[in-house]
Amino acid sequence: MTDFIKDPVVSLPDRMPEPVIPGDELFFTDEEKKQIETWVSRYPTADGAVMRVLWLAQEKFSFLPAEVVQLVANALDMPYAKVYGVATFYTQYFKEKKGKYVFDVCTCFSCQWCGGYDMLHYLEEKLRVHAGETTGDGLFTIQEAECLGACGSAPMLQITNGPYVHNLTREKIDALIDALREGNMPAFESVTLPQDEDELSGNRRTDVDKTTSSVTPPVSETVK
Amino acid sequence: MASKAGDWRNYKRVLLPPVKDLHRLDVYEDHGGYDALRQALTTDKWDPASVTDEVKKSGLRGRGGAGFPTGLKWTFMPPVNPDVPRFICCNADESEPGTFKDRQVMEYNPHLVFEGMVLAGYAMTIKTAYLYVRGEYADWITHMERELEKAYAKGYVGENIMGSDFSMDIVIHKGAGAYICGEESSLMNSLEGRRAYPRIKPPFPAQKGIWNYPTTINNVETFAHVPLILSKGADWFSSIGAPSSPGPVLYGISGHVNRPGVYEYPSGMLISDLIDEVAGGMRGGKKLKAVVPGGSSVPVLRADMIDGVTMDPEGLRDAGSMLGTAGMLILDQDTDMVSFLRRITHFYHHESCGQCTPCREGTGWLENIVTRIDEGEGNVKDLDLLIDLCSQMEGRTVCALADAAAWPVRHTITRFREEFEAKCRPSLVATHVESAAV
Ligand SMILES: Cc1cc2nc3c(=O)[nH]c(=O)nc-3n(C[C@H](O)[C@H](O)[C@H](O)COP(=O)(O)O)c2cc1C
Ligand code: SF4
Ligand code: FES
Repeated sequence: MTDFIKDPVVSLPDRMPEPVIPGDELFFTDEEKKQIETWVSRYPTADGAVMRVLWLAQEKFSFLPAEVVQLVANALDMPYAKVYGVATFYTQYFKEKKGKYVFDVCTCFSCQWCGGYDMLHYLEEKLRVHAGETTGDGLFTIQEAECLGACGSAPMLQITNGPYVHNLTREKIDALIDALREGNMPAFESVTLPQDEDELSGNRRTDVDKTTSSVTPPVSETVK
Repeated sequence: MASKAGDWRNYKRVLLPPVKDLHRLDVYEDHGGYDALRQALTTDKWDPASVTDEVKKSGLRGRGGAGFPTGLKWTFMPPVNPDVPRFICCNADESEPGTFKDRQVMEYNPHLVFEGMVLAGYAMTIKTAYLYVRGEYADWITHMERELEKAYAKGYVGENIMGSDFSMDIVIHKGAGAYICGEESSLMNSLEGRRAYPRIKPPFPAQKGIWNYPTTINNVETFAHVPLILSKGADWFSSIGAPSSPGPVLYGISGHVNRPGVYEYPSGMLISDLIDEVAGGMRGGKKLKAVVPGGSSVPVLRADMIDGVTMDPEGLRDAGSMLGTAGMLILDQDTDMVSFLRRITHFYHHESCGQCTPCREGTGWLENIVTRIDEGEGNVKDLDLLIDLCSQMEGRTVCALADAAAWPVRHTITRFREEFEAKCRPSLVATHVESAAV
């Protein structure tokens, strides 16, 4: 703030709020820089790589505060405002700190009618937080998600932009929470095509340990 | 009307043939994989123009929702100018609620998609293709990157493919969660590293696409058909299913059926066959109430409207709906259609990019008013207000999201009017619904 505005009538927005990531941790390693270079080389301009680099930054710093956005902007030689615009457009980029495990519970369209809200409410009750909130120990965030493209195995959820958990039940959620408390992320779960069940007597992939088949969706108790 | 799918009970799958581990390159090669590409690049059988002609002749129509003839779209590309780059985009953003077929193709037969993209690149003389996958499909992106690397190593993608003088790269682009990125011009802005705002058309992608260079954009399933058309012939393809929109279709069936999932059958299947025979009938022997035949954007059909209706653009148009993505939601007698519509309006409100006032404000008001009705606070006149609001949104925006938000509102209200009225406060004033729809 310049000296002559002693008493601003309106409070000016903080373009660069207090950083939360310590300065000495705020950098990309040489290896990461090389990875960024590879991404950049795949597009006519460096801007094309911005989504990948934001992903990299989010994986590294767990969310995207202003100083991380600035770091990405510097790495790609892009204006801060443009990177900020991208980071705030997409729902998967976290603008604030979330839990270690973020549950995106789908309650959209098909999931709504196959028990999506039952699963959401069960999680809320179990973890004693509402959708959009994080547990006190910083371990879990619950969110309501839009269709995640797994409507045939509804209800379902996604864990921190990673693995999908299909055909949810209360028991499955209990087991999932126990596993995550131990630090075990669930393995990739392949959804068997119904026609493969008939013609190949099961899932066609031999390189996955976990499969789930189409099951009759549960009758929902609560739809909202 | 009868099924247009012929002897579908004996149909043999081709997009997802019953082969264990077909997603692995070595297995794919053992089952005729990359043969169509080899024939195109190393023999005289196919020059670029004849590939496009064959696709045109096959009658293939885009599987991303709009059903545009694919071969015709390819001819919109301007003549090759060596100084001007040109691109292919494969649309794997798949976010239309009720749609989950592209994910299954990417998991179980990714090389078919790669081969289709390279063939399309050959047909249009294109050197770079982007595969835009929604960010939520992180696991499938990892799987595909692994397979793509193998395809590069074997020379099916990259420099001088199979020793020919044709080279093409495939780049997998990871999105980050935004339904609007499925809209082709929004997808292009997203690829360029901007906020994913749709662009005004014209100019169309073939004139000004990514970085304003000529671009052709097709859906995952559309590209997957291309190698099959070349290896089995356009006549084979056009003889499958409904003549006006032929070929195999991936039907994604979800909701209150005994066996939900993705099924491959000829186009033009009877909706009743898909529910009763393919998907194992209604859960718990309940009665069918409604069918949404092609993703959340298309008009819902009441159970009494599906008699003899087939899953092809014409069949569904005559019935008062659209084919969309062929992602079908089946709903039983216990479904509350007001609550159903409320969640849909929430989706479009959440996903509107906010560029156009009728869409940004309209989707919000749709959600507010439907919510008010669902909570028992609405008036019967609100129903007319909603229909009026729809008319003010449709056709007045940059992209079709506003229309996609308005159609379900208009049609769910007109087709289930009593249910909406039952949730409203009684009215002493006469009300009516203005709608040309059935
Ligand atoms: C709001 C909106 C969302 C869309 N989402 C998708 C999508 O997720 N996947 C897709 O393939 N096409 C989607 N489309 C259609 C694309 O704009 C485009 O028509 C299609 O990808 C073209 O491919 P095709 O000719 O092979 O169907 C969407 C269109 C709109 C208006
Ligand atoms: S119609 Fe809606 S989603 Fe499409 S450009 Fe306008 S505001 Fe964005
Ligand atoms: S509606 Fe939940 S995954 Fe599609």
